[in-house]
Amino acid sequence: MFHGEQAEMSEQEILSTLLASEIRGDLLVLFHKNPGLIDTVDGIARRIGRTTIAVISDVRELLQLGLLKQKRIGASEIVYLDRARDREILESVANHLKTVRIGREK
Amino acid sequence: MKLESWVTDSSLLSYCPTGQDMMGMAIRMRESSSTNPQDNLEWTPKSTGPDQRFAAEKSFSSVLVNTVREAVGNALGRNVLEILTSKGLLDDASNSKEFDRKLQLLFGNGAAVLERIVVKDLNRRLGIRYDSEARFDYGKSLETAKEVCFMESRLK
Repeated sequence: MFHGEQAEMSEQEILSTLLASEIRGDLLVLFHKNPGLIDTVDGIARRIGRTTIAVISDVRELLQLGLLKQKRIGASEIVYLDRARDREILESVANHLKTVRIGREK
Repeated sequence: MKLESWVTDSSLLSYCPTGQDMMGMAIRMRESSSTNPQDNLEWTPKSTGPDQRFAAEKSFSSVLVNTVREAVGNALGRNVLEILTSKGLLDDASNSKEFDRKLQLLFGNGAAVLERIVVKDLNRRLGIRYDSEARFDYGKSLETAKEVCFMESRLK
Protein backbone atom coordinates (compact mmCIF):
# COMPACT_ATOMS: atom_id res chain seq x y z
CA MET A 1 0.00 0.00 0.00
CA PHE A 2 2.76 2.41 0.96
CA HIS A 3 6.49 1.97 0.72
CA GLY A 4 7.82 5.54 0.76
CA GLU A 5 10.02 7.41 3.19
CA GLN A 6 8.66 9.62 5.96
CA ALA A 7 8.78 13.23 4.86
CA GLU A 8 10.10 15.94 7.21
CA MET A 9 7.11 17.81 8.56
CA SER A 10 6.66 20.73 10.89
CA GLU A 11 4.71 20.23 14.15
CA GLN A 12 1.85 22.22 12.65
CA GLU A 13 1.81 20.00 9.54
CA ILE A 14 1.83 16.87 11.67
CA LEU A 15 -1.17 18.14 13.62
CA SER A 16 -3.02 19.03 10.42
CA THR A 17 -2.28 15.59 8.99
CA LEU A 18 -3.55 13.83 12.11
CA LEU A 19 -6.84 15.73 12.14
CA ALA A 20 -7.42 16.11 8.41
CA SER A 21 -10.65 14.10 8.33
CA GLU A 22 -13.23 12.45 10.54
CA ILE A 23 -11.96 9.02 9.47
CA ARG A 24 -8.44 9.93 10.52
CA GLY A 25 -9.81 11.03 13.89
CA ASP A 26 -11.61 7.68 14.20
CA LEU A 27 -8.41 5.83 13.33
CA LEU A 28 -6.47 7.76 15.99
CA VAL A 29 -9.06 6.91 18.62
CA LEU A 30 -9.20 3.25 17.54
CA PHE A 31 -5.43 2.73 17.72
CA HIS A 32 -4.93 4.75 20.90
CA LYS A 33 -7.69 2.80 22.63
CA ASN A 34 -6.25 -0.47 21.27
CA PRO A 35 -2.50 0.10 20.93
CA GLY A 36 -1.81 -3.59 20.36
CA LEU A 37 -4.29 -3.87 17.51
CA ILE A 38 -3.06 -5.69 14.40
CA ASP A 39 -5.51 -6.00 11.53
CA THR A 40 -5.97 -5.72 7.79
CA VAL A 41 -7.29 -2.49 6.29
CA ASP A 42 -10.62 -4.29 5.71
CA GLY A 43 -10.79 -5.20 9.38
CA ILE A 44 -9.84 -1.71 10.52
CA ALA A 45 -12.49 -0.19 8.26
CA ARG A 46 -15.13 -2.49 9.75
CA ARG A 47 -14.06 -1.60 13.29
CA ILE A 48 -14.80 2.07 12.68
CA GLY A 49 -17.97 1.35 10.70
CA ARG A 50 -16.61 2.32 7.28
CA THR A 51 -15.77 0.66 3.99
CA THR A 52 -12.23 -0.18 2.88
CA ILE A 53 -12.48 2.30 0.03
CA ALA A 54 -13.47 5.05 2.44
CA VAL A 55 -10.53 4.53 4.80
CA ILE A 56 -7.72 3.61 2.42
CA SER A 57 -6.40 7.12 1.73
CA ASP A 58 -6.46 8.04 5.44
CA VAL A 59 -4.64 4.84 6.40
CA ARG A 60 -2.09 5.65 3.69
CA GLU A 61 -1.52 9.13 5.13
CA LEU A 62 -0.96 7.69 8.62
CA LEU A 63 1.45 5.13 7.16
CA GLN A 64 3.31 7.94 5.44
CA LEU A 65 3.48 9.84 8.72
CA GLY A 66 4.90 6.72 10.33
CA LEU A 67 2.18 6.49 12.97
CA LEU A 68 1.03 3.20 11.44
CA LYS A 69 3.21 0.44 10.07
CA GLN A 70 2.34 -2.33 7.64
CA LYS A 71 3.64 -5.84 7.32
CA ARG A 72 2.82 -8.85 5.17
CA ILE A 73 1.81 -11.94 7.11
CA GLY A 74 1.05 -14.86 4.79
CA ALA A 75 -1.43 -13.64 2.24
CA SER A 76 -2.52 -10.66 4.32
CA GLU A 77 -1.14 -7.15 4.57
CA ILE A 78 -1.63 -6.06 8.16
CA VAL A 79 -1.47 -2.64 9.76
CA TYR A 80 -0.50 -1.74 13.33
CA LEU A 81 0.44 1.23 15.51
CA ASP A 82 4.13 2.09 15.77
CA ARG A 83 4.10 2.98 19.47
CA ALA A 84 7.50 4.64 19.52
CA ARG A 85 6.68 6.85 16.53
CA ASP A 86 3.24 7.55 18.02
CA ARG A 87 4.89 8.88 21.19
CA GLU A 88 7.19 11.07 19.10
CA ILE A 89 4.31 12.44 17.06
CA LEU A 90 2.12 13.19 20.08
CA GLU A 91 5.07 14.85 21.80
CA SER A 92 5.61 17.13 18.83
CA VAL A 93 1.88 17.95 18.80
CA ALA A 94 2.07 18.75 22.51
CA ASN A 95 5.12 20.98 21.95
CA HIS A 96 3.32 22.85 19.21
CA LEU A 97 0.16 23.34 21.29
CA LYS A 98 2.21 24.75 24.17
CA THR A 99 3.09 27.69 21.92
CA VAL A 100 -0.48 28.49 20.87
CA ARG A 101 -2.28 31.12 22.94
CA ILE A 102 -6.05 30.96 23.40
CA GLY A 103 -6.38 33.62 26.14
CA ARG A 104 -6.83 32.80 29.84
CA GLU A 105 -3.84 30.43 30.07
CA LYS A 106 -3.09 29.38 33.65
CA MET B 1 -45.88 17.19 19.67
CA LYS B 2 -44.95 20.10 21.89
CA LEU B 3 -42.20 19.23 24.34
CA GLU B 4 -43.83 21.01 27.26
CA SER B 5 -47.00 18.96 26.84
CA TRP B 6 -45.35 15.58 27.20
CA VAL B 7 -42.85 16.64 29.80
CA THR B 8 -45.65 17.61 32.14
CA ASP B 9 -47.72 14.49 31.37
CA SER B 10 -47.58 12.59 34.68
CA SER B 11 -48.18 9.24 32.96
CA LEU B 12 -44.79 9.59 31.33
CA LEU B 13 -43.05 10.01 34.65
CA SER B 14 -44.05 6.60 35.94
CA TYR B 15 -42.09 4.42 33.53
CA CYS B 16 -38.45 3.85 32.78
CA PRO B 17 -37.68 4.53 29.13
CA THR B 18 -35.71 2.13 26.98
CA GLY B 19 -32.93 3.23 24.65
CA GLN B 20 -35.42 3.19 21.78
CA ASP B 21 -37.80 5.39 23.77
CA MET B 22 -35.02 7.82 24.54
CA MET B 23 -34.01 7.93 20.90
CA GLY B 24 -37.60 8.65 19.92
CA MET B 25 -37.75 11.40 22.50
CA ALA B 26 -34.46 12.81 21.26
CA ILE B 27 -35.74 12.89 17.69
CA ARG B 28 -38.99 14.56 18.75
CA MET B 29 -37.06 17.05 20.83
CA ARG B 30 -34.66 17.70 17.97
CA GLU B 31 -37.70 18.52 15.82
CA SER B 32 -39.31 20.68 18.47
CA SER B 33 -36.04 22.46 19.22
CA SER B 34 -36.06 23.94 15.73
CA THR B 35 -38.70 26.33 17.04
CA ASN B 36 -36.50 27.28 19.95
CA PRO B 37 -35.57 30.94 19.50
CA GLN B 38 -32.39 30.58 21.56
CA ASP B 39 -29.27 29.57 19.71
CA ASN B 40 -27.37 28.32 22.72
CA LEU B 41 -27.51 25.69 25.43
CA GLU B 42 -29.67 27.57 27.87
CA TRP B 43 -32.92 25.92 26.87
CA THR B 44 -34.83 24.05 29.57
CA PRO B 45 -38.51 23.13 29.88
CA LYS B 46 -40.63 25.79 31.53
CA SER B 47 -42.33 23.32 33.84
CA THR B 48 -39.24 22.48 35.90
CA GLY B 49 -38.12 24.14 39.10
CA PRO B 50 -34.82 25.99 39.43
CA ASP B 51 -33.25 23.31 41.64
CA GLN B 52 -34.02 20.58 39.16
CA ARG B 53 -32.82 22.72 36.29
CA PHE B 54 -29.60 23.49 38.12
CA ALA B 55 -29.04 19.79 38.87
CA ALA B 56 -29.68 18.88 35.23
CA GLU B 57 -27.30 21.59 33.99
CA LYS B 58 -24.64 20.39 36.41
CA SER B 59 -25.16 16.77 35.40
CA PHE B 60 -24.89 17.59 31.70
CA SER B 61 -21.82 19.74 32.22
CA SER B 62 -20.15 16.88 34.08
CA VAL B 63 -21.00 14.36 31.33
CA LEU B 64 -19.74 16.76 28.68
CA VAL B 65 -16.43 17.56 30.40
CA ASN B 66 -15.77 13.84 30.96
CA THR B 67 -16.58 13.13 27.34
CA VAL B 68 -14.31 15.91 26.04
CA ARG B 69 -11.48 14.69 28.28
CA GLU B 70 -11.88 11.12 27.06
CA ALA B 71 -12.29 12.06 23.40
CA VAL B 72 -9.29 14.41 23.28
CA GLY B 73 -7.21 12.01 25.38
CA ASN B 74 -8.01 9.08 23.10
CA ALA B 75 -7.32 11.05 19.94
CA LEU B 76 -4.18 12.95 20.95
CA GLY B 77 -2.95 11.44 24.21
CA ARG B 78 -2.75 12.47 27.85
CA ASN B 79 0.06 15.01 27.45
CA VAL B 80 -1.93 16.98 24.91
CA LEU B 81 -5.01 16.76 27.12
CA GLU B 82 -3.07 18.15 30.08
CA ILE B 83 -1.77 21.05 27.99
CA LEU B 84 -5.25 21.85 26.71
CA THR B 85 -6.64 21.67 30.25
CA SER B 86 -3.95 24.06 31.49
CA LYS B 87 -4.90 26.44 28.68
CA GLY B 88 -8.49 26.47 29.93
CA LEU B 89 -10.10 24.45 27.12
CA LEU B 90 -12.37 22.69 29.56
CA ASP B 91 -13.37 25.82 31.50
CA ASP B 92 -17.02 26.36 30.70
CA ALA B 93 -17.08 23.46 28.22
CA SER B 94 -20.89 23.70 28.03
CA ASN B 95 -20.52 27.00 26.21
CA SER B 96 -20.28 25.55 22.72
CA LYS B 97 -19.31 28.82 21.03
CA GLU B 98 -16.43 29.46 23.42
CA PHE B 99 -15.27 25.85 23.20
CA ASP B 100 -15.41 26.05 19.41
CA ARG B 101 -13.44 29.34 19.42
CA LYS B 102 -10.67 27.82 21.56
CA LEU B 103 -10.52 24.66 19.45
CA GLN B 104 -10.31 26.71 16.25
CA LEU B 105 -7.37 28.69 17.65
CA LEU B 106 -5.59 25.52 18.70
CA PHE B 107 -6.37 23.16 15.84
CA GLY B 108 -7.64 25.22 12.90
CA ASN B 109 -9.54 22.92 10.54
CA GLY B 110 -8.84 19.99 12.85
CA ALA B 111 -11.24 21.51 15.40
CA ALA B 112 -14.24 20.12 13.49
CA VAL B 113 -12.77 16.61 13.63
CA LEU B 114 -12.28 16.84 17.39
CA GLU B 115 -15.80 18.17 17.81
CA ARG B 116 -17.16 15.24 15.82
CA ILE B 117 -15.21 12.82 18.03
CA VAL B 118 -16.67 14.50 21.13
CA VAL B 119 -20.24 14.41 19.80
CA LYS B 120 -19.92 10.80 18.62
CA ASP B 121 -18.78 9.76 22.10
CA LEU B 122 -21.39 11.88 23.83
CA ASN B 123 -24.17 10.45 21.65
CA ARG B 124 -22.96 6.90 22.33
CA ARG B 125 -23.13 7.56 26.08
CA LEU B 126 -26.63 8.99 25.82
CA GLY B 127 -28.00 6.48 23.26
CA ILE B 128 -28.46 9.06 20.52
CA ARG B 129 -27.89 7.96 16.92
CA TYR B 130 -24.90 9.60 15.22
CA ASP B 131 -24.92 10.06 11.46
CA SER B 132 -21.51 10.95 10.05
CA GLU B 133 -23.08 11.78 6.68
CA ALA B 134 -25.40 14.42 8.13
CA ARG B 135 -24.48 18.10 8.23
CA PHE B 136 -22.62 18.73 11.48
CA ASP B 137 -23.35 21.52 13.92
CA TYR B 138 -21.53 21.23 17.24
CA GLY B 139 -23.82 23.63 19.11
CA LYS B 140 -27.01 21.93 17.94
CA SER B 141 -25.59 18.48 18.69
CA LEU B 142 -24.83 19.57 22.26
CA GLU B 143 -28.30 21.07 22.55
CA THR B 144 -29.89 17.74 21.60
CA ALA B 145 -27.60 15.82 23.96
CA LYS B 146 -28.47 18.21 26.75
CA GLU B 147 -32.18 17.73 26.17
CA VAL B 148 -31.79 13.93 26.30
CA CYS B 149 -29.62 14.18 29.42
CA PHE B 150 -32.25 16.41 31.01
CA MET B 151 -35.03 13.97 30.12
CA GLU B 152 -33.08 11.06 31.60
CA SER B 153 -32.63 12.89 34.90
CA ARG B 154 -36.31 13.87 34.93
CA LEU B 155 -37.55 10.34 34.22
CA LYS B 156 -35.28 8.69 36.83
